[in-house]
Amino acid sequence: MSRWICPEVLLVLTGVILILADALIPAGKKGWLPRLAILLSSVLFGITVWQSGQPMPEAWANLFITDGLSSVFKPFFVLCLVGVTLISVRYPMGREETVRAEFLALPFFSTAGLCLLASARDFLAIFVALELVAISLYLLAAFHRTRVASLEAGMKLLVMGGLSTGFLVMGIAWLYAATGSTEFTRIILEQAGRPASAGLLLAIGLILTGLAFKIAAVPFHAWAPDVYEGAPTPITAFLAIASKAAGFVLLLRIFGFGAFALDSVGWIFRPIFLTMGIATVTLGTLAALPQRNLKRYLAYSGIAHAGYMLLALGTLGESGMGTVVGYLWAYLLATFPVFIFVQELERVHGSADVRHLDGLGQRDPGPALGLTLCFLSMAGLPPLLGFSAKLSVFTTLWSAGEIPGLVVGVIMAVVGLGFYLVPIRAMYWEREPDTVPAQRFPSFLVWILLLAGAAQLVLGFQPRPLVRLVERSLAPTVTGIPQEK
Amino acid sequence: MNLSLALPLLLVVPLLGVVAIALGSAPRKTALWASWINLIPGFLVSGVVLRQGEVLYGPEVTNLREVFPVQFRLGLDGLSLPLLWLTLVVTVAAIGVARADVKRAKEYFLCLLLVGLGGLGAFLSVDLFYFFSFHEVALIPSFLLIGIWGQGDRTGAAWRMTLYLVLGSLVLLVGLIGLVWAVPETARTLDWRVLTETFRAQPIPATQQTWLAILLLVGFGTLVSLVPFHSWAPGGYASAPAPAAMLHAGVLKKFGIYGLLRLALPLTPLGWKEVSWIVGLMLAGNLLYLGLASLAQRDFRWLLGFSSAMHMGTIFLGLIGGTVLGLGGALVLMVGHGLSAALGFAVAGEVGQRAGTTWMQDLGGLAKKTPKLWFYLMIAGMASIGLPGLANFAGEILIFFGAWSDHPFLVAIAAWGVVLSSVAMLRAIRSIATGPVSSALEAKQTGDLTGIREVWPFALLTALLFLVGLAPNLILGPARPVLERLLQP
Repeated sequence: MSRWICPEVLLVLTGVILILADALIPAGKKGWLPRLAILLSSVLFGITVWQSGQPMPEAWANLFITDGLSSVFKPFFVLCLVGVTLISVRYPMGREETVRAEFLALPFFSTAGLCLLASARDFLAIFVALELVAISLYLLAAFHRTRVASLEAGMKLLVMGGLSTGFLVMGIAWLYAATGSTEFTRIILEQAGRPASAGLLLAIGLILTGLAFKIAAVPFHAWAPDVYEGAPTPITAFLAIASKAAGFVLLLRIFGFGAFALDSVGWIFRPIFLTMGIATVTLGTLAALPQRNLKRYLAYSGIAHAGYMLLALGTLGESGMGTVVGYLWAYLLATFPVFIFVQELERVHGSADVRHLDGLGQRDPGPALGLTLCFLSMAGLPPLLGFSAKLSVFTTLWSAGEIPGLVVGVIMAVVGLGFYLVPIRAMYWEREPDTVPAQRFPSFLVWILLLAGAAQLVLGFQPRPLVRLVERSLAPTVTGIPQEK
Repeated sequence: MNLSLALPLLLVVPLLGVVAIALGSAPRKTALWASWINLIPGFLVSGVVLRQGEVLYGPEVTNLREVFPVQFRLGLDGLSLPLLWLTLVVTVAAIGVARADVKRAKEYFLCLLLVGLGGLGAFLSVDLFYFFSFHEVALIPSFLLIGIWGQGDRTGAAWRMTLYLVLGSLVLLVGLIGLVWAVPETARTLDWRVLTETFRAQPIPATQQTWLAILLLVGFGTLVSLVPFHSWAPGGYASAPAPAAMLHAGVLKKFGIYGLLRLALPLTPLGWKEVSWIVGLMLAGNLLYLGLASLAQRDFRWLLGFSSAMHMGTIFLGLIGGTVLGLGGALVLMVGHGLSAALGFAVAGEVGQRAGTTWMQDLGGLAKKTPKLWFYLMIAGMASIGLPGLANFAGEILIFFGAWSDHPFLVAIAAWGVVLSSVAMLRAIRSIATGPVSSALEAKQTGDLTGIREVWPFALLTALLFLVGLAPNLILGPARPVLERLLQP
């Protein structure tokens, strides 16, 4: 099969098809457009998984590679897309219903950018891909024009995203000035055996700053809670999971596998990573405690998760890299179902306030159970999937001898349980629900949440599939990927 | 037939019970059936252990050199056998005591079965990953049990207990990571049986052993409510509904001691010796401080909570004695304490249900109104005091003998602990039982236990207390070779 039939190309084509279909179909028959979007995204997920190891087109070889990391993360991003499409279809648009097709199509472009990002081996490619992701997301965050909060979210994301891009571009420029190239392998060759120059360090610092915005790491986290709260929920999910993961993939690519996997630079940045990790975990966890809006709550929880991943990444070893990969998958599997639930909660109750969970354990035992398992998995409680992820972080920190990070991580894991138990308590503890909604949750929600809960349990009890995935991601080339036993 | 299959069956049966209840079968009946039926695989594996010394289930140990060498393996030997039975019996009794007409019965019995399942899994696991995970399985159900069905300051108690236990568990987790990481990379495994062999051939450096022993001590010590990590325990037990308190005080708490026996003693022997003076201080704190605190209690549940935490001190004395006698005594006392604490909380629960209070001054004259409850109250109290003939006495006396040569001073303190606990318990019994029937009781139609349907859980626990007390060799016999191996250098 031609190498041009790759996820990135197909994603862009699908986006175009959706927009064209919207323009060409007569107004009365647009009902099946959402179904088409779901179908296409699922098919794309299948294709992406099926040919995740296939090399990219020859003509792109200078800019993109296919390796273990990209083959593990392209399915990740497309899976996010499937989820986002599934809930975008149900997002209440009100008077904006006429632009539903764009709302469905834009994430496809964004995902194409993410997939390119996973494969990028040149800073120019990174920049272009990142902009493809970001610009679609600016639009999407502000998509619900009639809601002030959504506009505010779009504005904040635009300003903050612009700022972070500025740092990134500046960093790339300095990098080019310092090394004469933007391509990973050339930079490595050029820098091998040399001490890092001041210009190179500045460049890396700027690039790191730009990426820290993307993953919402302290001190560049302040935009996240506001944007998450205001943006339409499907987009919040996309921002919280796919966009954050993209930031980490780039960090892995740059500091783990690519340009700066050099001792001379890495060791300088190691304490910075660890300090940032400690600050991010601490702030994310403590700031989540008083939150009463589930979307803000998930924003801070996401910040805390980013902190754990930064701690693992900061050890700059292979186990740290693998930990981040596994952690991101665990994060996806635990967080996405919660976002699906949050959207249904908003549909039924009109807001994502925690108090709407009161008494849910009795009203809807199925969703409550699934949600409980997802929250506990985020808290890192065994025997759920999140435990393996946290365990892996702690193990990495221990073996690297990073005791301060380990101590903070452990303490914050306990505090974290404190805030993950809040919604659980609200669901099961005896408290009268403030208003019993006239609408019930749709039945598909029950199944999705129960399925998600079961996935946490099964993968938590038998983490081998995740371990295989991590091993695969660490393989330098696709040919070196160990096959499933 | 391969009898080792009975090992996973021990976990599958309660799990089936959980699923059946979740799908809507009668909660109490299903839970009771599941816990009774679980005795059958229990008998099967016990037979194998008594004949062969141990029974194992799971894949062969392989050094996969994996990122994450987790393998699901179960095992049972003479040391875990009594604890397995303790779990099985206390689960049966706890579910027997639980009432079918409790509010939200479905979730209630689900949680109880899960707590029992966590205990079983922890005692059966050979792989440290599952060893740790199973203990945590019980955590959230306990949180819900106290929070939803508890009494008094249930919310505060649930939070305190859960967060405290998680903190302890995570310290423990760090200790476990340290243990596994002390193995050279080529031989890395999470199987404690293999770890024991590895470290016997090639011990961990002494200073590292000390650090690991401290981590394990703090981690497991928190789970066992060793002073100063005890403050979750009395309040938690006082607020928990009776079956939850039975399972937690009777079974789950023993996990910490079991872990120290399994891991700290054989894997970090030098470190354990090094920190034994700290353990001595802590256990003296348990015996004296908590002993005195239990004197001051006015609520029977709180008294039981404190006295249950206090007796952990005596068990720890057996652990630092460094003799097979002391370890055997600790094992017997673990079982004895598990049974007597379960019986005590069961009685307290019944009294609370019937009289509407557990304040001791309001319970005067209970003996006249409810003689059967009174009888089991006496048994629980006497067992916890250490009356000869009951299981706790056998354990305590062995511990005292075992620890005498190395720690005579601590034995003296422990003897004072016995005195304190006797005073507290006898005062409680006096104020509850004797004297005129109190006005609070008079006003209520307080009925006694009626018929075999209500009595059997109490009778079962009492019978086992006597059985172990009169024939401690039932426990010591199979455990002896294991304990001897633990102490071999």
